Amino acid sequence: MTTSAPAPGSSGTPDRELLRRYHQHGDVSAREELVERHLPLVRSLARRYAGRGELIEDIEQVGAIGLIKAIDRYELDRDVALTTYATPNVVGEIKRHFRDRGWTIRIPRALQELNVKMSGAVERLTVRLGRSPTIAELAKELDATPEQVLEAVEAGSAYSPVSLSASPGNEEDLDLMEVIGTEDEGYARSEERASLEPALGELPEREQKILRMRFEEGLTQTQIAERVGLSQMHVSRLIRRSLESMREAMAE
Amino acid sequence: MTAPPVSQPELVELETPIGSEWDPVVRLVLGGVADRLGLGFEDLDDLQLAVERLLAEAGAQRAVKIAFELSPGRVRIHVGPLREAPIAEALQGPPPAPGELELRRVLETVVDSFGVEEAAAGELVVRLDKRVGPR
Repeated sequence: MTTSAPAPGSSGTPDRELLRRYHQHGDVSAREELVERHLPLVRSLARRYAGRGELIEDIEQVGAIGLIKAIDRYELDRDVALTTYATPNVVGEIKRHFRDRGWTIRIPRALQELNVKMSGAVERLTVRLGRSPTIAELAKELDATPEQVLEAVEAGSAYSPVSLSASPGNEEDLDLMEVIGTEDEGYARSEERASLEPALGELPEREQKILRMRFEEGLTQTQIAERVGLSQMHVSRLIRRSLESMREAMAE
Repeated sequence: MTAPPVSQPELVELETPIGSEWDPVVRLVLGGVADRLGLGFEDLDDLQLAVERLLAEAGAQRAVKIAFELSPGRVRIHVGPLREAPIAEALQGPPPAPGELELRRVLETVVDSFGVEEAAAGELVVRLDKRVGPR
């Protein structure tokens, strides 16, 4: 038996009705409401994977993609609650993320742990010193060697918190890869460069904001981190991956 | 044990295949250079991004040389020879329009200065400069 009672504070419309409106009538607002309604489920599932070297907000972001896929793939004639159907999708997406990008690429545990400690150490030292710490200062803070610090930083760079398949949130709700791949076909290389701006516009809002703060306003990563409430290392990863995602998308 | 700071010009050279799978090698060397110079963690990140972006634009070229010239308080990096003409266009042409996020704007943001130097015919070397911030 399907049970789909709406969450407290929601519009009160049952999940099934929202799914019907989305799948049969293309009502994107119904889809958005479903996503919003079930984000607590994503957060709950994401928490199970905390402490594995990945920031919880990144895991939640990946889990949200699983939720969106579940909503899109849901078949109305199935007698199953959306939460039941979505849970394995969300977990699967998170596991895939870890498998593809995470620590399962056999990073030694000591390096994983050092990387996890690194972000906090960078924050502490930045505050204490009033500037970005050197590798030697980080090594001392973490009771490690400079080589270990560099290896741990490199190990952390295996992550990819940015997903090009994340919905850009526009009305069409098209997959970003589809949007960029279609529009840029046949473009010359120099023209691709000129059209990076549209690609920027297709990144998630947070990443757009961060890139603009860094490359238009000239803020440092530390200043951006303070403004958006992330760690400097997280900001660094988002910048690098966003630029790479844009470049890859333009090259397709 | 802390190594003594760089007190005279030193040169570190690397020849590497181009490709994202080789980026970690370049990043680690850059990290070692940054450590020797006492460059801040964030400055190191900037330099890594600059070199990565440059190599990403290098196109089909198979390999590249990267020279790191260390002086007290400064590193100068030469990347090349590069045979990708669009890199020269991107770095030497008119400034990018506001809002455009291309190689030139990235380099302007993350290094103190950069330039393009002619190498052999049809080849160029890109120079990147980064100073150690105040202590």
